[in-house]
Amino acid sequence: MAEITFDGVTKIFGDDIRAVDELTLHVAEGEFMVLVGPSGCGKTTALRMLAGLEEITSGTLMIGDTVVNDVLPKDRDVAMVFQNYALYPHMTVAQNMGFALKVRRESKVEIDRKVREAAAILRLTDYLERRPKALSGGQRQRVAMGRAIVRSPQAFLMDEPLSNLDAQLRVEMRLEIARIQRLLGVATVYVTHDQIEAMTMGDRVAVMRGGQLQQVATPQDLYDHPANEFVAGFMGSPPMNLLRAGVEGEGENAFLVLGAQRLAIPASYNTSHDLAAVRGAGIVFGSRPEDVEVLAGEGGDAIMTRVERREALGAEILVHLSLLDAEGTSAFVVTDEGKVVTRPSTLVAKMGPRADVKVGDILKVRFNPERFHFFDADSGASLRRV
Amino acid sequence: MTTPLLDPSESPVIAPVRRRRRLKSGRVTLFVVMVGVAVVMLYPFWVMIYNSLMTEAQFLAGKGFSLGSWSALTSVIPVGQEVLSSTIICSASIVIILLIGLPAGFAFSKLRFRLSTVVFLVIVSAMMVPLQAILMPEFVNVTKLGLTGGYAGAVLVYAALGTPFSVFLFTTYFRGVPDELIEAGIVDGLGYFGVLWRLVVPIAVPAIATVTVLQFIQIWDDLLVGLLFIQNTSERPITVGLAVLSAGRTTSIPQLMAGSIISALPAMVVYLGFQRYLVKGLTMGIDR
Amino acid sequence: MTLARRRQFAGAVFALPAILLVLGFIVVPIGQAVYYSMTQWDGITASWIGPSTWNQAFHNPTLWTALRNNALLLLSVPFALGLPLAIAVLLHQRVAGWRIFRSIYFLPTAISWVVLGLVAQRFFAYQGTLNSLIHFFGFSATNTNMLGYESTALSALGITFIFTMIGTNTMLFLTGLATLDTSLEEAARIDGAGRWRIFRSITLPHLRRFIQLAFVMTVIALFSALFSLIFVMTGGGPGYATTTMEFLIYQTGFNQGDFGTAALYGLILFVLTAIVGVVQLRLIGSDE
Repeated sequence: MAEITFDGVTKIFGDDIRAVDELTLHVAEGEFMVLVGPSGCGKTTALRMLAGLEEITSGTLMIGDTVVNDVLPKDRDVAMVFQNYALYPHMTVAQNMGFALKVRRESKVEIDRKVREAAAILRLTDYLERRPKALSGGQRQRVAMGRAIVRSPQAFLMDEPLSNLDAQLRVEMRLEIARIQRLLGVATVYVTHDQIEAMTMGDRVAVMRGGQLQQVATPQDLYDHPANEFVAGFMGSPPMNLLRAGVEGEGENAFLVLGAQRLAIPASYNTSHDLAAVRGAGIVFGSRPEDVEVLAGEGGDAIMTRVERREALGAEILVHLSLLDAEGTSAFVVTDEGKVVTRPSTLVAKMGPRADVKVGDILKVRFNPERFHFFDADSGASLRRV
Repeated sequence: MTTPLLDPSESPVIAPVRRRRRLKSGRVTLFVVMVGVAVVMLYPFWVMIYNSLMTEAQFLAGKGFSLGSWSALTSVIPVGQEVLSSTIICSASIVIILLIGLPAGFAFSKLRFRLSTVVFLVIVSAMMVPLQAILMPEFVNVTKLGLTGGYAGAVLVYAALGTPFSVFLFTTYFRGVPDELIEAGIVDGLGYFGVLWRLVVPIAVPAIATVTVLQFIQIWDDLLVGLLFIQNTSERPITVGLAVLSAGRTTSIPQLMAGSIISALPAMVVYLGFQRYLVKGLTMGIDR
Repeated sequence: MTLARRRQFAGAVFALPAILLVLGFIVVPIGQAVYYSMTQWDGITASWIGPSTWNQAFHNPTLWTALRNNALLLLSVPFALGLPLAIAVLLHQRVAGWRIFRSIYFLPTAISWVVLGLVAQRFFAYQGTLNSLIHFFGFSATNTNMLGYESTALSALGITFIFTMIGTNTMLFLTGLATLDTSLEEAARIDGAGRWRIFRSITLPHLRRFIQLAFVMTVIALFSALFSLIFVMTGGGPGYATTTMEFLIYQTGFNQGDFGTAALYGLILFVLTAIVGVVQLRLIGSDE
């Protein structure tokens, strides 16, 4: 068992394609680290560099106290679970799991013992003599896990191991993999594009985009305090509402300008966030769908919206709202200014299953004042003071 | 206005009955035609068997049957020796073709090295070069190497002629193997030779079978290479034996036919047993 | 050494034997053929003459006879494709016992063309099957001896060639038909298309690539695989009536000992097949 350290690790493909750009990341002993991001964000390349399957262009990569930049995969003592499992089709389950040990010339007895042990953990004991072809998707996935487990490696590397499973099995295996990882206490780097997997499995989650690390934090921290607009929009489903807004006024009297409407900013944000710097300029205001609440009656610090769409999901209803402008009719329109993250002119509210809303209703809504998010309109960085 | 659908003669009650009857008589005609084709295709076997069951005298007289030609066969044609030679030449050539083709196919599909694409193209193009086109230099080269006496020269020439196809087939086959499988082997501790020997070759069994069957039939049935590159009569393959005897025009036809049957049997057995691999090999490249 | 380097190194090492074999036995001899074609050469000593040998060779009427024979044999190609296409379509109807018929139709493919040549000789011989058939149909006064006359020997060779190609081409077409999506035919039938219409508009276009491949393979066989048949059936005669390019190379080199001219003829054959080969590479490569 060992810790893993990326220090300014960069991978350049060809002449100028920076797949991974100055990645610095530390995975503690026994930690479950999830690398998450959209496809092409560099997460798989980072994992493959760790496995030794991809050369490192610059920076240092350490497993334990050893710099492994130039160490061959077989000498790194890491085990990898591949997206398509990569089971050896001509070997039985037991042979698949024991293969790495056989290559390392361990004794037959020892191999057999380790394979049985791992099979018991994975509930594969009855399938040891089958070939991969005769297994279900979930069983194949477990064999791929087993192949990693038997080696008791320094680290597990997993590359989207659940993406080939159907939805229900995926939920099951999510728990299973997390359970086994905790049981064995081996440092694990887990790559996925699925933010739900990231939230539910990781001790910590590293969000990547365009080869660059965006934020590393515990899942809850990531959710509550996204470091930038991208992370805010990527984590959570449906994603955080992000609205172009202006900040005016000072201290107790600071308020947000959302189109033709105004919304008071609670005073506490003046200290926790760096709002002074952007006064008068544009910012991006964020609020999660579950923080959007309907207000009944007169008064209150709220904005007027109209219901544009309604998606009943059973346990909850997603209500798509448009902000009303000065005339109180047409929807609020935001220019995008060529930003990568789109700022929807509408927002989404999560409501209880019995909420009585129809398309066309005019609703007065407020945003949970404890959970405001502010981002720099240009850089997208959070304005929160750390 | 009438539409075909409203035409009473096409009413759904009558149509299926008529149709089935027409189909049935069509099927019978079809069957007869197919039997006719079968007769034509079986004709060579009938000629061989029918004529081999006569003595030279009976053949010339055009009547009578006996096993005389068979019992005297080995005194005219050294069938045993020739079949053995054919077997040795075939096996040795195929082993070389596989030993050379498998690593090369793996290299061209998964281990891209400098100029590998160009080299691959050259090798595949060599598939199109008929031996006759380079017959003279080839013959002189092999002669200068002193290999035109026994099996060695012929085996090398067969191996060289079979290698381009086997490289092409294995490369195509291995392109379908996921890279992850090889990477899994690397992470599990294998080197590239280990990956080749312990992962890639076992997976390639169907492709190996295809190459083996195609090459077996090709080499077993060939005449030219054996005729020119094996000068010791004691080591010549059966096709050469038959062809040379027939060119002599003094040999008894019944015995030639008996020899033909013996030469045809092994290839037919291989052929019937591994037909599907043959089809796969023939359509490699377009059947995907 | 890093993994990427190891990979490239392994790739180069694994491909090396194939590269050497193909270079040594196929590529280099092509170059040698160019050189030797400009020499007076008996296999041992070669004296340089220069490109003027070409001029001389092109004035040799035998070369033109051989080229003409090759061209005339091309007339058999439509039959070597059409008959198998018809047979494949018949088999595809899945009449009772079609699997057995399939095996029977493919069986002659396993046999050496040496043996098929011997059989064909029996078929066309004066006391052969062809004359028996003619007599059976009532023309008792008519006797043929196709292999014995310059006017008919080439036709006999062509017919034999068509027969030998039936198995392979039928196999190709049948494979092509098996990949045909039956729902297409059904859709066409629902649209009111008749059988012939369906064959023309759906089946044939679908088989296009298979027909192209069969065409190329047939033409290449015609240029470079007739040796066994000719050697056994006619020895190139009567006269030069059945001498094709490939047989002319053999005769010039090994019967007349004129290695230089034979090497030149080889080059001509090489160019002819290269043209066909380029077409085939196009076909194979067009979907990559």
